[in-house]
Amino acid sequence: MKYILAWTIPLIFLTSILFAIFRKVKVYDSFTEGAKGAIPLILSIFPYITAVMMLCKLLEVSGLEAKLSAWISPLFTFTGIPEEISSLILMKPLSGSGSIAVLTQILERCGIDSYAGRCACVVYGTSDTIFYIGAVYFAGMKRKKLTAALVIAISSYLLAVVFACFLCRIM
Amino acid sequence: MNILFAIVFSLCTFLLLCIAPDQFLTALLDGAGKGASVCISLVATYAVWLGLMRVWEDSGVARGVSKCVKPLARRLFQTDDEATLQAVSMNMSVNLLGISGAATPYGMQAAKLLDKADNAEYASAMLFVLNATSLQVIPTSVISLRIALNSTAPYSILFPTLFATAFSTALAVVLTRIFIQPKTTVFFKKQGAGI
Repeated sequence: MKYILAWTIPLIFLTSILFAIFRKVKVYDSFTEGAKGAIPLILSIFPYITAVMMLCKLLEVSGLEAKLSAWISPLFTFTGIPEEISSLILMKPLSGSGSIAVLTQILERCGIDSYAGRCACVVYGTSDTIFYIGAVYFAGMKRKKLTAALVIAISSYLLAVVFACFLCRIM
Repeated sequence: MNILFAIVFSLCTFLLLCIAPDQFLTALLDGAGKGASVCISLVATYAVWLGLMRVWEDSGVARGVSKCVKPLARRLFQTDDEATLQAVSMNMSVNLLGISGAATPYGMQAAKLLDKADNAEYASAMLFVLNATSLQVIPTSVISLRIALNSTAPYSILFPTLFATAFSTALAVVLTRIFIQPKTTVFFKKQGAGI
């Protein structure tokens, strides 16, 4: 299992390149032509990423995030979510690197194979960084359409979190 | 997003004014610096994956994969445009494999194309929701973290994660279908004929 995970990406690259050679594609020209597209892509998302990151940092420093998770945690325990992971639940939609840091903290504090630890792992995998994806994918789009989609994504995420903790209890 | 940004920003600034006004600018610069460094690491990731993606396109792999996923994509997104369907299909397949580095460029390409489509509102909401609730099959990063921290059963979270993420994605798709209805269902006849 460990090896399957480690092999996936190298094997994808190898088979792609071999297949391209088989199809008589000029692999080097093709690759560099594609890589060229990275710069304009980054330029188009840079301002949005910076703004979102700045906001996340403000949330953290001002203590608003800690306050929010303190307010919400009674609600979480009511639905069977261990309160230790409430900070992860708030962090996950905002930042990928931030939530992996929070996840590591939780695992070290509560134990990897404890109930809270397993819940944290499952919650981390349930959903992606919703706000970050919104910022990146819809950079420069007419943004008014996104509100409804954002509400849908957040609410399915929260319901899935409840479901995830339930699964951890029975599996 | 404009309203959200304004509210959260002013609320945080107000709180910081009360507790530690000297940390305000440091926090802003810290955050922006993190944004910049994220972008730099993303340039590298995108260059690698966009390069490989171009190889896929030139060798016909992209066309082959999207042919398999296309019936599903057509149904989900209610669009018939070839280029859009290909971008969407590749975004979905790469997501399933857990290669988020390649999923993002495809997703952005698809988002741009969908913005011009007939059902722009519905289709771009669907794209966002699919990506936001994560389609990944194997939670690679969590499992490697658990291995690194010496868990006794690193794979014990595999099935719960699988079920939970399938649940969140399915729920989001259904909700989008209900609340943001496609204006035109062009594909009703074709769906029947295709299957």
